[in-house]
Amino acid sequence: MNETLKAARLDFALLRPYWKTLCFIILMPVIYTGVARSLSAGISFEMCMLGITASYTFAISEKNGMERLYGALPVARRHLVFGKYLLICATGLLALGISLVTHTAVLKALGETVHAWEIAVSAVLGFFVYTFYVVFQLPGYYKFGAVGGKMFQFIPVTGYLLTLILLPRVDPNSPVLTAVLGRPGALAGAVLLCCAAAYGISIVVSVRIVKNKEV
Amino acid sequence: MDNVLEVKGLSRSFPGFQLKDISFTLPKGYIMGLIGPNGSGKTTTIKLILNMLKRDGGEVKILGLDNIAEEKAAKAELAVVFDSNYFCEAWTAAQTEAAVSGFYENWDTNRFHQLLERFRIDPAKKVKDLSRGMQMKLMLACAFSYGAKLLILDEPTSGLDPVSRDELLTILSGYIEDGEHSVLFSTHITGDLERAADYITYINRGSLFFTGGKDEFVDSFRIVKGGPEDLTEEIKARLIGLRTHPTGFEALVRTEDLERMRRTGGKAAENRSVRGNRDSETVRFPAYTGALGKSSPVDSWTVEPATIDEIVVFTSKTPDDNGE
Repeated sequence: MNETLKAARLDFALLRPYWKTLCFIILMPVIYTGVARSLSAGISFEMCMLGITASYTFAISEKNGMERLYGALPVARRHLVFGKYLLICATGLLALGISLVTHTAVLKALGETVHAWEIAVSAVLGFFVYTFYVVFQLPGYYKFGAVGGKMFQFIPVTGYLLTLILLPRVDPNSPVLTAVLGRPGALAGAVLLCCAAAYGISIVVSVRIVKNKEV
Repeated sequence: MDNVLEVKGLSRSFPGFQLKDISFTLPKGYIMGLIGPNGSGKTTTIKLILNMLKRDGGEVKILGLDNIAEEKAAKAELAVVFDSNYFCEAWTAAQTEAAVSGFYENWDTNRFHQLLERFRIDPAKKVKDLSRGMQMKLMLACAFSYGAKLLILDEPTSGLDPVSRDELLTILSGYIEDGEHSVLFSTHITGDLERAADYITYINRGSLFFTGGKDEFVDSFRIVKGGPEDLTEEIKARLIGLRTHPTGFEALVRTEDLERMRRTGGKAAENRSVRGNRDSETVRFPAYTGALGKSSPVDSWTVEPATIDEIVVFTSKTPDDNGE
């Protein structure tokens, strides 16, 4: 764990000079929430934007030729991978927390009523979509690099567009949906389990790629 | 542990290039120059040592630790400086320390700041605003801050001005002074090694050409110059990297081959002309007076000590390079 934290700290140090950009990305979707007057829509957009930033650490390290530094550090390659996933997951959760507060505040300032269940649903939805935006991207960046794997940056945008297209087509009176939404605890548990499994599989794939990768 | 680095039978194949059976040892307290022309396999060897590339065969031990099975422990004892900066350019020198220090248990912050002061690096200055020489010094400051026993430098002087190169060599000499630290110094600017290296490992076209003491390496070869009429097939066979021109030829020859030619051919004179800091003198070799009692072509040759640079240049040449 200690090694993982060190690796996460190194990746955090890469992002630190770009904190203004990250703040802008986290706060800018507030405008979207204000226009759409929907917390879940705003959070979904927010997570899409943040999902795109998953490539940042790869791009920065690639630009600076830092694979040579990683190769010289006394740390196992798998811990470098764990550290990156830890940082990306933590960044997502932090941004989600900030967004839930700011977006709710904006909606309330605009005279909208925001229920606790809406916040809970938005939190679960936000974490779910963010997870699926990053778990497919990261192995791609490990395999092809940030430049070679640029197409993986479109995963969050594609995911968001699919959400926009498919969501209105869902029948709100569908018995399946009613049954699922009728048990919010089980739904949240299933979503979290699904996210954990997705992270697990993605980490295993990334570790395998990194172990076989030559610098 | 007398050897800091032991490389045995290291091999790796790529499409169009093969690193074959590289073996050498670097004793504690010395600087070894890893030399060879561009593309000869120096960086590949270093990457194999660092386990950044997968080897096809062989073994690497760093302070007695296997570089793969005990990678973490081995890497904690070594530092690497490449030809260009490998830190994030947006970091300041102080942020660089914050980012990498956590990986080293022996990291000494006071020492790091002393080194920054000694190297005249402003801790608040961004890496991208440092000159190339300063960036290299920052990498060295990091390397020296956790007491790395082995310093591996991959072409560190390429792109540096003569003043920075001289500074680097002074720093390296100071680093090994206590006899506990060692340096593996890959370069194709062999002039740096004339001054700093104790040992030489020369890789040419992926194969080990020589490994051993620098003086032994330099002593093993001579530069010979002679007239066009001196070149017989037998002599040609002993010459390395032969360059012919209308007024004669120039080539490298193994010292032992030169002596053999003298013994079988006749007496010879060796002119040690002024080359760098070498003394100018002419030495006669009466012991080599030929048994045949007639003059050998070798008699008329100018024989000079070879520099590392010349050895690399001549041995890297193929017959095609000479138009033969």
